[in-house]
Amino acid sequence: MTALPLNRRQLLGALGASGLLLAWHGLGLAASDSPRRLMVVLLRGGMDGLAAVPAYAEPGFAALRGALDTGAPGGEQTSLKLDGSFGLHPALRHCAAAYQAGELAVVHAVAPPYHGRSHFEAQDCLENGSDRPHASQDGWLNRSLSALPGSEGLAIASALPLMLRGPAPAETWSPSPLPEASGDLAQRVSRLYERDARLGPAFRRAADSQGLAMGRSEGRPRNRLPESIRQAASLMRGRDGLRLVMVEDGGWDTHARQGGAQGALAGKLGKLDEALATAKTALGPLWPQTVIVVATEFGRTVRVNGSGGTDHGTGGVMLLSGGAVRGGKVHADWPGLGPSALLDGRDLRPTTDSRAVFKGLLLAHLGLAESVLAERVFPNSRDIRPLEGLVHS
Amino acid sequence: MDAAVIARNRFGLGARPGELDRDQPPARDWLLEQVQAGLSPTPPNMATLPDSRAAAAKFEDWALARARERRAGKSGAEADAAEQFRKSFQQDLLAEIGARADQQVRTETPFLERLVLFWSNHFALSADKPQVTGLVGPFEREVIRPRLLGSFADLLIAAEQHPAMLRFLDNANSFGPGSEFVRDPPRRLRRLASNNGQPLKLGLNENLAREILELHTLGVNGGYTQADVVELAKGISGWTVQTRLLRGGDAVGPHGFVWFAEAHEPGDRELLGRRYEAGGREQGEAMLRELARHPATARFLATKLARHFVADQPPASLVARLEQRYRASGGELGAVYRALIESPEAWQPEPRKLKRPEEFLVSALRATGLPAPREGKAWVASLSLLGQAPMRPGSPAGWPDEASAWIGPDSLWKRMQIAEQISEKLPARTEPLALARAALGPWLQADTIEAMQRAESTAQAVAILLSSPEFQWR
Repeated sequence: MTALPLNRRQLLGALGASGLLLAWHGLGLAASDSPRRLMVVLLRGGMDGLAAVPAYAEPGFAALRGALDTGAPGGEQTSLKLDGSFGLHPALRHCAAAYQAGELAVVHAVAPPYHGRSHFEAQDCLENGSDRPHASQDGWLNRSLSALPGSEGLAIASALPLMLRGPAPAETWSPSPLPEASGDLAQRVSRLYERDARLGPAFRRAADSQGLAMGRSEGRPRNRLPESIRQAASLMRGRDGLRLVMVEDGGWDTHARQGGAQGALAGKLGKLDEALATAKTALGPLWPQTVIVVATEFGRTVRVNGSGGTDHGTGGVMLLSGGAVRGGKVHADWPGLGPSALLDGRDLRPTTDSRAVFKGLLLAHLGLAESVLAERVFPNSRDIRPLEGLVHS
Repeated sequence: MDAAVIARNRFGLGARPGELDRDQPPARDWLLEQVQAGLSPTPPNMATLPDSRAAAAKFEDWALARARERRAGKSGAEADAAEQFRKSFQQDLLAEIGARADQQVRTETPFLERLVLFWSNHFALSADKPQVTGLVGPFEREVIRPRLLGSFADLLIAAEQHPAMLRFLDNANSFGPGSEFVRDPPRRLRRLASNNGQPLKLGLNENLAREILELHTLGVNGGYTQADVVELAKGISGWTVQTRLLRGGDAVGPHGFVWFAEAHEPGDRELLGRRYEAGGREQGEAMLRELARHPATARFLATKLARHFVADQPPASLVARLEQRYRASGGELGAVYRALIESPEAWQPEPRKLKRPEEFLVSALRATGLPAPREGKAWVASLSLLGQAPMRPGSPAGWPDEASAWIGPDSLWKRMQIAEQISEKLPARTEPLALARAALGPWLQADTIEAMQRAESTAQAVAILLSSPEFQWR
């Protein structure tokens, strides 16, 4: 990854000074003047919540989890202690420290209201913000934007995810595997765009964003999460009004050879941990104003399957990270893992609706009205009360 | 010349070198002739692709392999077998996308290829859902391509009865609550109930019925109620596909649609105030025929067509004319296209539509005379970067047709990067200005010509052409 100053210089070459002043102005923004921000990280595929946040004190937990178990806290390479009931996967080292520092909270046994175990439908439900898949053609994050006049949304993705689709202004940005435009092509092209009232401003902004976030991605797609979050953070810092940002990541569908303290999932969790640590550095002065919520479409089966993995389940985990988070707490109406407690005899039973978490954040962190949340952002959700105590007021 | 450049860009997939100059029929006639002649049956490059029966059989094999994998104690051979199948679905999909790209780049009837894209997006499927990964391509070849110019009712029924749609929107798992299967499930279905420890709830699934009303016919404000959704769902219950666990039924049509009387909700139905007598699969077909005739459907389709070809906010007079022609012709699509071609609003000189990613990419290759990449993979990579991965809109609503929903700073920037990538593939002898004039005719702007003349290389000049604002609009 090229260092920032080099890209600034490239940008100077590409644009001349006029666009540049605009682009860098935002960086000096004082934290106290700046409105609060929310970043949503969607892990597609279904993160194994009990691997990320093991309920190590549950009777028979190690037996249920078999080869996936990371052991009770206290040993070498074992789970990291959160409280007397829950731990974190050993790969989530930074998260454990953030929890101790009061900047990370966990919501456990949480799921969107759809419990049918299809990725496609569960993601749709989680993103459209209603009580079922396909009930809305736009997303709750976009409808939240509509309630925040003057704000814009951004997804680190090449196609706008459903969560951000809708009438409010939202756009995408993603690193390009293509080489940066060579020579002065961008400069030559940008002159042509000056005559185009629709595309001109967009093209200028593109050049600005390339400079802020840096164009070139490196590394394999599966390792991109820390990079995406860093880019999201730099765009948030650089642009006034950018309050809702979404980052997505794939590869969490661990049906086979999931691994325990080491292995495939440990690698993914390590990247997530690195990503959240990166966010704090990259957000800098905005950190105290920020909440990052990490969500996934469902948890996975409690028991290990025949392929050393887990299958599609229901209840899972959300992580809340950020300077504005009231951390050091696991929010869970814990259903237990006994045979009769499991949903259909196989899944962690969800006791919290993911909409309650999103509503709690939008209410207390971004100041959206409860009635707006219950009617517009999450239609017909009056019965789903916003979760309290998630952020510093 | 103006009409020719409009015809090739707004109604087609961009001009290839020579097409604007050649002694050709007048632009309107060129389009009308395509409507008259229709799409040639299966293009040779698509003839070897698997049909929906082959794809469905492969999916069943995969489901079986996966079930075996679940039962097997240790991971290993079974997991690998299932993985092999998954890969093979992806390969089929890439082959499909590659053949389709090749067809778009080489076609002599680009207006019809645009209509294929339009209707595939109207009846959108998404390869994200594993059950339909292998069926998305066959759906387009078996449903859309043969019915581009017929009646909308026939297209509608064919689309809703295709296994891809029945699986995508879950009608394959919809059982009338009063049906024989729900009252007394056959043993195979009961075995499904114990599969995986999940209790199977046999019942009505409203998903397809809802999307038929909201997305395929009346439109979201088309005046239907939740009760109508349920009535339509009951009317089309029993429309399903054959699977390992559900054998029997009457095979109807060549693509794997199966009618199960035992899954159909008995009794009369009432949809939008009209009564439909108890009956077999004809009950649901009668409901769809009536929906196709409905004024709200005429309005909805007229608006979508006008928006797709002419402007994000299409002129009301144009929408009204298309709507009127739809109703007067009894929903004959060829008549509606003719009305579109003959409407003055469609020929406004100022382009008001931004090319969608696929249109941009195809037109860039046509303008430069380059072939589509041999591998579907490269095509998917480019289109994914531009924000619209082929055959994966991710939603039954398809891709939005208003540019504001998908053209942003980032995708403009990537168009420039892709333009440069394409320009580097051209032979050194290329004459950029000749290509520019051949592609854009009078739309080519003086400052673009000047920028191309000052470019530091032939490749850069072509990259400027393909990046220029006038190349983004149609």
